[in-house]
Amino acid sequence: MIEFLAATIRIATPLALAALGGILSERAGVFAVGLEGMMLAGAFAATVGAWASGEPAIGMLLALLGGAAIGLAVAIVAVRFRADNMVTGLAVNILSLGLTSYLMRIIAGGGRPINIHLTPLAAVPIPGLADIPVLGRLLFTHPPLTYVTAFGCVALTLFLGRTQAGLTLRATGENPEAVFASGANPLIVRMLAVVSCGAIAGLGGAVLTLQQVGTFTDGMTSGRGYLALAALIVGRWTPWGAAAACLVFGAAEAFELRLQSFGVPVSSYIIQMAPYVIALAVLAGLGQSSKLPAAIGQPLQREH
Amino acid sequence: MSEAAPTLSLAAMLQARRVRLKPSGLAGRILLALLLSMICAAALIALSGHDPLAAFAAIARGAAGSEHQIGASLNRSTPYLIAGVGVALCFRGGVINIGAEGQIAVGGAGAAATALVFSAAPAPVAIVAALLGGALAGAAWAGVATAIHLGRRVHEVLATLLLNFVALLLVQQLLAGPLGQFGAGFLQSPLMPRSTWLPRLPGFDAHPGFLIALVAAAVCSFVLWRTPFGFALRVAGSSRLAAAYAGFSLARLTWGAMLAAGALAGLAGGIEVLGVHRRLIEGFSLGFGFKAVTVALLGAMEPLAVVPAALFVGLLESGSLAMQRQIGVPSALVTVIEGLTMLFVLVATVARK
Repeated sequence: MIEFLAATIRIATPLALAALGGILSERAGVFAVGLEGMMLAGAFAATVGAWASGEPAIGMLLALLGGAAIGLAVAIVAVRFRADNMVTGLAVNILSLGLTSYLMRIIAGGGRPINIHLTPLAAVPIPGLADIPVLGRLLFTHPPLTYVTAFGCVALTLFLGRTQAGLTLRATGENPEAVFASGANPLIVRMLAVVSCGAIAGLGGAVLTLQQVGTFTDGMTSGRGYLALAALIVGRWTPWGAAAACLVFGAAEAFELRLQSFGVPVSSYIIQMAPYVIALAVLAGLGQSSKLPAAIGQPLQREH
Repeated sequence: MSEAAPTLSLAAMLQARRVRLKPSGLAGRILLALLLSMICAAALIALSGHDPLAAFAAIARGAAGSEHQIGASLNRSTPYLIAGVGVALCFRGGVINIGAEGQIAVGGAGAAATALVFSAAPAPVAIVAALLGGALAGAAWAGVATAIHLGRRVHEVLATLLLNFVALLLVQQLLAGPLGQFGAGFLQSPLMPRSTWLPRLPGFDAHPGFLIALVAAAVCSFVLWRTPFGFALRVAGSSRLAAAYAGFSLARLTWGAMLAAGALAGLAGGIEVLGVHRRLIEGFSLGFGFKAVTVALLGAMEPLAVVPAALFVGLLESGSLAMQRQIGVPSALVTVIEGLTMLFVLVATVARK
């Protein structure tokens, strides 16, 4: 059972980080379809950074920058030039997939992807708390980025709910004209939100490479960015809701892995569908009373 | 409001007409975007220590150096063109349908299932039936998205995007169950009956799918520019308010565009299955739907202009494999070019009208 719960947390961590980033972007009024590309860029940058420097911390820093770079592309095209959010997101996902695969092959020269094997980051037990029976192993014995994710949930909740900047960001997603009238610049707010979203999602990608797999392979996020997008919808655009959704998705995947190892004849494909179907059901159930930020996806007026 | 609305609607209608009268500026901007992404690609090639001009030459030779290679490039372009035309139709009407990825996969499965049922029928009947089966399956999948979008007011992008993943898993489930070949080791259907294979065009190593695609583009262009439905769609795309004021039913327009796009995407999937693989394979259409969006954008949502756009992407992709073999520049470069082109074209078509 503990194994199962631990697997759930492990699978949910990269999703949750990406979803937290996505909340920043969507609450500011920009659809976060580019999460997949941001995660992938982060995963790549983290691997290469940690490999080249021998320092996982450098890898994390580069993951933030790599994800932010993709975020910047979205910010320029979708916010500054007012292109369709969704299509821009698709475009950066394609760009990121191509660019990471290409760079992976030219780093070593010779056209073959370079072989990198990193030792995955070890768990850091929190002194004192980790000794609590059961709970200690489950909650307080994790690799560093898992703690960062939990901390991020708290921080983002406080930021959105309790700070002036958070209020401005939410207002930009609901009514950019009001933000403009109050003296802030919705264009800048949205661009910053999308770039931060990229950085955080990039760190989510780093979880995969630095903490779990130890290497980078082409397109290794394999839809996790879209899963994070589904999670933040299911979580109704709140950090805790999204994190809970990620845990549910993680549990579904962990459950599926267990079933496979026991040879239970339940179709894994049907279980894998669950997150997307749940997200659709939540959206359909919300209907008009949707918590979707009112001005999401709408380009800013020219005067701004 | 009652005074302002008629002028608003008239202006939108005039604008819907004018787009066609002055396409030259738009075409120029798109070509500029294309040039920019090529310059970026050249920089990336240089970064890998190779000569960009030699790499581009290798792409050109690999894409169109022989009849065999031209055939392969045409086959590549076909699904992008057919599905891309449908996407263009939707985008023109302001319906952001990014569900082609799933609709193609479901269409392929529909065509494969129909082909297996019609295995005893004579070739022309079996082929037509299988392709119709694919188109129907694609349209049905688009219909699910439309029903969720209109019925429950879910944003169409989220509905189509999320259904893509469900569709891919559904096809995998079908391949693991009723459509699968037992004991194949990986997810694929048995070989399709010979009577449903698309024939080869004489002289070229291509199936007639590209001809079907050209017809589809011409028909869509006609529908968009010469029918009341197309006119209403263009008005709705320019201004929902104007379309509603003019009495066009937005729901009916959305249904029409989505079903047409779904049927086209399904047809693309069917052609890929019957013409290229001759069986349904897991992931046979991976990324096709997103490339359909790429070519629709590159073609400025103009069905006839999607033809050169799809040809460009198809030639680029089939040429890049030759580039990788001969010069050693990774073929992933093409994916970079596609992504960059999309971004530049987005900026070019939105910025400064």
